[in-house]
Amino acid sequence: MIHLNNIDKYYDSKFQRTFVLKAVNLEIKDGEFVSIMGPSGSGKSTLLNIIGLLDTPSAGEYSLYDKSVLDLKEKAKVDYHRNFMGFIFQAYHLIEEMTVYENIETPLIYKGVKSKDRQAMVADLLDRFNMVAKKDLFPQQLSGGQQQLVGIARAIIGKPKLLLADEPTGNLQSVQGEMIMETLKALNDEGMTIIQVTHNEKFAGYGKRIIRLEDGIVRKDVKNV
Amino acid sequence: MMNYQIRLIFRNFRKNSSSFFINLIGLATGFACAILIFLWVADEMSVDKFHKTDKQLYQVLENQAMSQGILTQEYTPDLLARTLAAEFPEIKYAVAVSPARMFGNFTVSTDDNNLVKTAGQFAEPNFFKAFSYDLLQGNPEQVLSDNNAVVISRKLALSLFKTTENVIGKTFQWQIFSVKKNAVVSGIFEGTPANSTAQFDFVLSYSAWINLSEALGRNIHWGNHAPQTFLVLNEGVDVKKLNSEISDFIKTKQTGSNVSLFAVPYSHQYLHGNYSNGVESGGRIEYVRLFSLIAIFILLIAGINFINLATAKASKRFREIGVRKVVGSGRKALIVQFTGEAIILTFMAMVISILMVWFFMPQFNLITGKQLHLVLNAGFLLPIVGICLITGLLTGLYPALYLSGFNPLSILKGRPSRSSGEIWARKGLVVFQFGISVVLIASMIVVYRQVQFIHNKNLGYQKDHIIYFAKEGNIVPKLPTFMAEAKKIPGVANVSDISSSLVGNPSSTYGMNWEGKDPQANINFEVMRADVNLIETLNIELADGRSFSDKFSDENSKLIVNQAAIDVMGLKNPIGQIVSYNGQQKQIVGVVKNFHFQSLRQKVNPLTIIYDPNKTMTMMVKLKAGQEKQTIAELKSLYARFNPGFPFDYQFLDVAYQKLYEAEERVSALSKYFAGIGILISCLGLFGLAAYASEQRLKEIGIRKVNGAQITEVMVLLNSDFIKWVALSFAIATPIAWYIMNRWLESFAYRTTLSWWIFALSGVLALGIALLTVSWQSWKAATRNPVDALRNE
Repeated sequence: MIHLNNIDKYYDSKFQRTFVLKAVNLEIKDGEFVSIMGPSGSGKSTLLNIIGLLDTPSAGEYSLYDKSVLDLKEKAKVDYHRNFMGFIFQAYHLIEEMTVYENIETPLIYKGVKSKDRQAMVADLLDRFNMVAKKDLFPQQLSGGQQQLVGIARAIIGKPKLLLADEPTGNLQSVQGEMIMETLKALNDEGMTIIQVTHNEKFAGYGKRIIRLEDGIVRKDVKNV
Repeated sequence: MMNYQIRLIFRNFRKNSSSFFINLIGLATGFACAILIFLWVADEMSVDKFHKTDKQLYQVLENQAMSQGILTQEYTPDLLARTLAAEFPEIKYAVAVSPARMFGNFTVSTDDNNLVKTAGQFAEPNFFKAFSYDLLQGNPEQVLSDNNAVVISRKLALSLFKTTENVIGKTFQWQIFSVKKNAVVSGIFEGTPANSTAQFDFVLSYSAWINLSEALGRNIHWGNHAPQTFLVLNEGVDVKKLNSEISDFIKTKQTGSNVSLFAVPYSHQYLHGNYSNGVESGGRIEYVRLFSLIAIFILLIAGINFINLATAKASKRFREIGVRKVVGSGRKALIVQFTGEAIILTFMAMVISILMVWFFMPQFNLITGKQLHLVLNAGFLLPIVGICLITGLLTGLYPALYLSGFNPLSILKGRPSRSSGEIWARKGLVVFQFGISVVLIASMIVVYRQVQFIHNKNLGYQKDHIIYFAKEGNIVPKLPTFMAEAKKIPGVANVSDISSSLVGNPSSTYGMNWEGKDPQANINFEVMRADVNLIETLNIELADGRSFSDKFSDENSKLIVNQAAIDVMGLKNPIGQIVSYNGQQKQIVGVVKNFHFQSLRQKVNPLTIIYDPNKTMTMMVKLKAGQEKQTIAELKSLYARFNPGFPFDYQFLDVAYQKLYEAEERVSALSKYFAGIGILISCLGLFGLAAYASEQRLKEIGIRKVNGAQITEVMVLLNSDFIKWVALSFAIATPIAWYIMNRWLESFAYRTTLSWWIFALSGVLALGIALLTVSWQSWKAATRNPVDALRNE
């Protein structure tokens, strides 16, 4: 699915070039659950953002299903965001002015799904995450774990093939964190490809494969059985 | 989708209620001002345009060549209209009109009963063909062709006859000065609309005017200028060519005449009525242009403020935008959302502004002296909806493009940085808005001071406690008896009579000659006809000699002049000198100090006061202070004994004096409102900018506070940045304000001084208001818990 070849990301200042990522080669197949680990500043979020088409590499090749996705036009990028991938953030990034229901519904509106179908799809997900009673609440009225559940619901409602999670448990207590990880695992079991960035060894263990980054270089890439 | 958008928009409004409210009020105020000005301008533009002949309707004006320059005026010889019509085929027909403003009010009645005072005029038969005053009864071709004909307004018919039925053929009695005549009603017209310059209630035939002139001893010849002359031209006539042909027309009729003629469109005159040295030099059109400009400025500023506030608030919404983009919103959807918000807000502002207009309309009418109405018809609403859409689009599009253009990642990570051009634009806006505020405040103070100056100026006579009324009916033949009786009333201090009402003397002559006068010079002297006691009644100060008195028998051969006249004549010892007044030899017996019988816009002109009680038209009575009411009641009953049934129509001299300055009073009142609105809108702009700045520097403030900065130190930090710019705007605005106000004051011959403190005060006021506005935001920013600000990162 994902093929990264010799990806560099660097910033030039007057006298030196600072590398965030250096010569990263990565192959991720359909249905994988990858955890990216590493200390602060090791480039894991940058890597995730490049995979998510939110950032562009300075050099190297990146293709999705053998199709290069570098130098995509704005419209094509939006298409990938609508139909191919979903995002989960550490700070949830829900829209505060909208209810739980509306937050989950938003991607469908942008996708142009009909109102009736939207209702059914959102209702399904609310049911699955046990949040039917909370659908009319605003994000501030929920606990962090619940907010992140809404975040996941929003990310997967468009049935993406790829789910990108940037420290999804970073702001959560361990019990709630585990609940989120269980949810991700279940999604992966259903066939969704997931890439998560995390600091937490235990939660990284949910992944089937663990990649360790250090100073922008892939130090370890191991199967986790 | 639409429904969903709108719901979101309103939720957003509620969430940012303070900025939403400020935006709404700012825009609504801007709209309300623009609508009021728009209504006013539309009304001004419509004046005198309602005549069906408008495109062909012209008025003939005169240029008189004088020593002081060319004087342009509208009074023409009686014979001009008919002679022009006879000699020039380009002219379809012509009308001579002796307009209502030449006379005071007429007293009209039906058979001595039910006396009514009202305005009337005389006109030649084509009057109702040339002008579109709707005739309800009567044929426009011939209503005025009969010598005795009179056409009355519906209102006058109702008050005289209580009906408009069967009024044709009834007797109509009219009197003016000492002349009393009968006429027969030949038609009824609807009345003069509010947007007509000419206002009158009846029109008498032109032969009645000729008769009146004879009765008053007025000769009709080419050198006597009184009526107005109107032309209706044939279609397609080249007016330039016609003007060159009629230019010297009077000179061919009267040798030695200094008058040349030209025709201007009748409806053009209301807005372009000023002439300087024979050349058109603006008029009310300047106010129309000025106010239109102000309206555009106000709309512009309100719109820019709107954009500013929207972009300033944007940082609060960055995350929302970032998220939306990541979950797949295209740029278009975001632009639609933000523009939609702006358009909805604009429409809400428009609704509020219409309510504001409706609420302020009576006050606005009072200030402007208009009768404007808010009519919510298509002609009004369509442009309004158009303006809303355009304003909404323009004001919404910028923030929309601005907000949607950011890379979602940079938004989600933190705040994107701005270009320096944008910062300059914001600072420029502060300077611009406060510059205008300073100009407006300074103008308001100057205009107010000039109006006060006018009120308090020593005029050289005492205008208080003096009433005046028409010398009419039986008072004319029995004048000495009336005066003696009036003097017996205990509350009356003095009585006299004068040619006009003193204020804005309308009579003048070029017929003054004296020894040593340059025979080529045409020098204009104001003429006042007076009775004994006038100088005493008005407390005019004598510089030399004496005033008119009963003690001398031959007062007809004497005259009094003012010091300005002495200066012009260059006489060393004026008392006792003989001068010629329109060919009559008269002796100067007194010199009065200069007093202001005309507007303070003018220098005191040379004046000659002649003793001529037969030609006076106005009674003047000086009342003793403290018992005016009682005295006026007694004067009224005395008046009724002489003129039974006449309404006692009197006026106070000081009120009439104030009317001279109606325009200035209006400008003064309006300037207060404009200054207020200017300051309000500028403050809204500044408020938005301050909000923006403190939002921008949230992190910096947090770090400073964590490192020990006090609230006051943070506030000084935030405020000083703005104060700098307000100070700059003051520096730029002061010379502009000085220039404008100096020019305005120059239109007064007598004026207040432009002191430095006026500008200092304006600056301090603007600065104080700015400081208050900014401090509110700075205080909010400075008192916030620094942890909140830092945690956001």
